[in-house]
Order: sequence, then structure tokens, then C-alpha cells
Amino acid sequence: MKKKAVSMMLVAAMAVSLAVGCGSNGGGASGSGEGKKYDGVTLNYWSMWNSNEPQGQVIQEAADAFSEETGATINIEWKGRTINEMIATALQANEPIDVFEDGYERITAQYKDYLYDLTEMAEAANYSDHSFACFNEKAIEGAGFLCCITEQPQVGGIFYNKDIFEDCGIEVPTTWTEFLAACQTMKDNGYQPMALDGAYADFFFGYHLDRIIGQDAISDLAVNGGWASNEGVIQAAEQIIDFVESGYLAEGAPDEYPASQNKMGLDQDVAMVVCANYVVAEVNNNTQTELNWGLFNYPEVEGGVDPTNAYAGANSLAIPSYSENPQAAFDFIMFLTQGEWDQKMADTASQIPADPSNTAPAVMDGTIETLNATTDPLDWNMGMNDNADLKASFKDTIIRLFEGQFATGEEFAEAMDALY
Amino acid sequence: MKKNRALILCFVLPCVFSLLIMFLYPTIRTFVMSFFKIEGITDDVSTWSFYGVENYAKIFGSSTYRKSMLNMGSIWLFGGVLTLSVSLLFAVILTSGIRFKKFFRAAIYLPNVISAVAMATMWIQYIYNQDYGMLNTILKKLGLEGVRWLGADMKFWAMLVAFVFGAVGYYMLIFISGIERIPQDLYEAATIDGANKIQQFSQITLPLLRGIIKTNITFWSVHTITFFLWSKMFSPVDTEATTIVPVVYLYDTAFGGKATITRDAGAGAAVGVTLAVIVLAVYFIVNKVVKDDDLEF
Repeated sequence: MKKKAVSMMLVAAMAVSLAVGCGSNGGGASGSGEGKKYDGVTLNYWSMWNSNEPQGQVIQEAADAFSEETGATINIEWKGRTINEMIATALQANEPIDVFEDGYERITAQYKDYLYDLTEMAEAANYSDHSFACFNEKAIEGAGFLCCITEQPQVGGIFYNKDIFEDCGIEVPTTWTEFLAACQTMKDNGYQPMALDGAYADFFFGYHLDRIIGQDAISDLAVNGGWASNEGVIQAAEQIIDFVESGYLAEGAPDEYPASQNKMGLDQDVAMVVCANYVVAEVNNNTQTELNWGLFNYPEVEGGVDPTNAYAGANSLAIPSYSENPQAAFDFIMFLTQGEWDQKMADTASQIPADPSNTAPAVMDGTIETLNATTDPLDWNMGMNDNADLKASFKDTIIRLFEGQFATGEEFAEAMDALY
Repeated sequence: MKKNRALILCFVLPCVFSLLIMFLYPTIRTFVMSFFKIEGITDDVSTWSFYGVENYAKIFGSSTYRKSMLNMGSIWLFGGVLTLSVSLLFAVILTSGIRFKKFFRAAIYLPNVISAVAMATMWIQYIYNQDYGMLNTILKKLGLEGVRWLGADMKFWAMLVAFVFGAVGYYMLIFISGIERIPQDLYEAATIDGANKIQQFSQITLPLLRGIIKTNITFWSVHTITFFLWSKMFSPVDTEATTIVPVVYLYDTAFGGKATITRDAGAGAAVGVTLAVIVLAVYFIVNKVVKDDDLEF
């Protein structure tokens, strides 16, 4: 009898805990104060970060502050970088998501059919005055409407150690000829001009090729072939061969990521790296140093068609079209990407603020100006990724170019054509 | 008896249903998808358009896919010969009555309990690194020049050696279990008849291990075909052709890689189907070639 009573109590306890555990949290009061704007509203946020990363910590703090201010409850699910594997399926299945993060290229190209048109809310919030125009234009161009809000902008170019430039008395070069002269000066002063990891070899070469023939032509070559019959490709490859033969690459480059870029911090005698702005935080963190970083645009190649464009990308935030609380979701996005929290994100994660009126951390010096001046940002690998099937083989061939395996530009171009 | 049948059905049905839903359905769906033009894996069926064998034509026409198959074949053949030979050698040594057998067995198996990510990182950073890696440090101490172990020409082989190092212990344990099943009388009789250790190995151990060898070849084949993480670790940031294998090609095709917006779930399904066919083919060929039912002990 006693056993039976105990069993009944345990079953009851289990049933209660199940009921509590499975109960909906969607419509319940937040308990964070009465009369607030979004009392009782729950927002589900799928993040591409993990909770222990600097970006994740800032997002969590901002969510807590937003909850405190508006009464909304924000449930954050930390999905990590593989969010792109699950978000399309989740959107198709109408998963309860109100805000999610991913790269803006994927958002505009792959998820646009499932997204809320943010145009009106953005106009009401005067968003255009607090954002980089280049990303908004790209998003509208890709999706046909403003489908996402920039959260973490990125910019590519040549990141360099200002102290080495000062020591050598070098001004920032703007043309390839000036750049080669600067490399020679650095070499003469005992420095190694350029770090390069194989992982970014195609980004480096893509930049150089873009300067000569432009991104559209690269995209066309990537999709259809014909590299060997393009004089610009041969010229670009010849110039890279000369660059390598002149000894301007750091010792061991192209190395295995991140060994070569780390030498900028470890040895502090390597001056530059071609990459996007996150390289700064990576090198600083990996080597526990604080280099005096600067950024300059990839130099113009004389006679080339694109003297100035820069790579720019961004992680962005979007709202599914079926969200029941789009305005609350949008307000939270604005809360996160402007003002105090955007500044905190930039400072904590050493990245470019989403709002140009905020201040870039010292290590990101020059990035806001570069992004503001960018009207038609280059894609990652400058069009080579338009052939998704062959991009891995392009990378392999380009790594071989930097390893000095091709004696002439023609040989390289023929090797690229042989991939088709 | 009737009651028993009902009971058996009750126990078996959940398992059968689970198998049908979680294994058979995805298999059939993947097979069907491979004949359709589909962008996203979970796109609604109404958006699929029939594509015939174009997905297969696309992947077989892709030099990157062919390279991935070549890499997988090399892992299977060269890695397989190396792994199974070394693990068999270790198994024979450890069952020959040497001292500290348990220690060596545990030490050789140890890499299997360490995360593959940690193992790959250790090989990349501490063994193959050009500046402070173990191999180049040794070479430099011998007065030789360092080698670019992770350069475009060497990277695949560097990855293979690292992978084999981790895999040997697993296959060694299976071989040990097989060797320990062989009755000691056979070895005693052979010793009395004057057979030396090598003869005992080739005339007794090896023939009686045929079933185990068959199992190991099948396991190795599956291991090779699902080779994903090592390839990803040896091509950081984005996929490289030197280390690409078909499952990575499948992943990139279906989901897109870094800053790639193109997805082709139909072609990805075609890669999956070809891999399934290869697994089945290997299984049948190994069963046909390696006979293990003619000996009893």
C-alpha cells in the first residue's frame, strides 16, 4: 500500500514536470514588467554563432537588454556556422523563427522567397542613414526587395603592419608598380613582404585578376573556360610568377592556414596579407599580439579595367515572412545593429560596425571609409566561385601558381582550361 | 504459439517501421531525387523537374568529382594496404606472447578514442608544420632541408598517413580477436612438425583469418567512402581539390561552400547513389573473392 502511494506520487510528479516542461512559452507573460511595448511577445532567434564566442556573448547581452526595455522574450538558439545547412529546411517547414543570421549572399539568393520585405520598416526607422549602402543595394538587387539587415560587415584588401611600413619609410602603394617597389624596399630592410596561406591563394589571385580584367570577365571564364585565350589571365599569372620569383612571399608561403598569416604576429617581420578584415582578430588572437594594423585597397594594375573595387561581404539578419511579430523582430535587429550594441559588437569582436556612424576599433582603421567608398563590391574570389563545381580545382591550380610550379602564364592558363 | 507470434510481431514491428522510415525512405527518395533537377534538399516535390540522367552526366563530367573519386580510390587502395598490413603485423606481434601486451594494445588503440579533429590538428600543427613541425625539425637536425609537407603535391599523402596512423588500432583489435580464436593446438602441432614462425603465419594464421580479413576490408571500404572530416581538416576555410573526396564533393554540391550560393541537391543525390553502388559492389566482390567457409576449426 505504501509502495502504491509512493508510486502514485512519483507518477504525479512526473506528469506535472512533463506538463511544465512541454508547456508553450509563446503566449505567456514575460514577467519582466507591465505596460512595456512587447510584453508577452516571444522572439525566436537562430544565431550563426556559439554562445561562448565574443559575437554570441554580445548578442545575448543585447537580447537581455532588449527584453528589459521592451518586455519581449528572446529565445536564442546557437546554431553555429552550419546554420546554412538547416535554415532553408527550417524556413520551408515554417519553423518558429523570427530572426536568423547568415551571409547576405545566401540570404538574398537562396532564402528570399521565405523572407519578410523590410523596406517599409527600414524607411520608418531611417535605416539608410545608419547602414552601408553597398550591402543594401546588393540585397535589393539580389532579392528584389530589402530582405536583410547588415549585422557584421567585412571588407577585403591588403592588411599590413604599419610599424614595418614606417620603419621602411614606405607610403601606402596605389599601383602595382609602386607595390612591387614597396616590397623590394621591405626586402632590402630585412622584412618579408607578404604572408600567404594556401586557403586564401585564390582570393589573392582573384583580386589581381580583377584589377586586370574585372569580375564579370572572371565569372565568364570560370563558367565557360577559355583562360588560355585571355591575355589578361596570362598577364596576371606572369606578374604573380615574377612576384614569387622576386622572393616577396614570406618564407614557406603558401603555407597551411593559418601558419603564414600567424607569422605576422609571431615573427613580426612579415608585413602584409591579402584577406578580409577578420584576419586581424585571427592573427591577434592566435599570436597574442597587438599589431599596429592598417588596410589599403589592392593596388591598381596599370592598364587594367578595375582600379578600385574592393571585396565586401556581411553577415546579415533576416525575418521570415511568416513571423508573427515582424515589427518586434525588426526593432530588435535595429537595437542590435545600431548605437550602443553595434559599437559593443565592433569593440568586443574587433570588427567593423554595421552602423557607419559608429567608430571602428583601432585595428579596423580605414575600413569604414573603404566600405563607404565601395559602390559595387566584389564577391569572394571575384567571380571564380560562380563555378561551384570547379572552384576547388581552381584553388588547387592557383596554389600551385604561388608555389612556383608554372614557368609561364600560358602554362597556368592552360592548366586552368584543362579542368573543363 | 499464436500468442508468441503476436508478441514477436509487437517487438519487431517498431524496429521494422523505424528501419523503413529512417533508412529505406531516405534511400528511395535519394535515388529518385538523383533523376530530378532540384535545388534544395527539402524543396517541395512540386518544384522538382525531371532531368533524366543529366545529374549523373554532370558529376561524371566534372573533373573535381573525378579527382575526388581518384582520391577515394587512392585512400582505399594505398591506405587500405598500409592500414591492414600494419594492423595485422601488430596483431600478430601482440598475440605472440610479448611482455606489456596490454599496454601496447592500449597505446596503439589510443588514437581511436581521441577526437579526429584533435588528431588532425596535431598532425597539421605539430608534425607537418614547416617551421616547428616534428618532421622538419628532424630533417634539419640531420642537416637536410625542410619539406613542404602540406604543399599541393604532398598534402594528400600527408593526410593519408595521418589517417592511417589513427585507424591502425581499430583494425588491429579486430585482427587480434580473430587470431585469439585460432586453437593453440594447431601452432603446437606445426612447431613439432618443424614449421617456423613465418610458415605458421602463412599456413595457419592467414588462411584462418580470411573471414576477419573480409570483415576488415568491408569496414575499411565503408570507412573510406565516409571519409569526410579528415578531408575537411586538411582543407581549412574551403575545399581543395588535393584532398577532396566524394562525400565532401556531395556536401559542397548540396549545400554550397564558402560564399557559394549555388546548390544542386539532384547532383548531390547522384553522388550519394554512386557511393551506395560502390559500397554494394565492394561488398559483393569481397564476398565472392574471399571465401571463408571452406575451413572449420
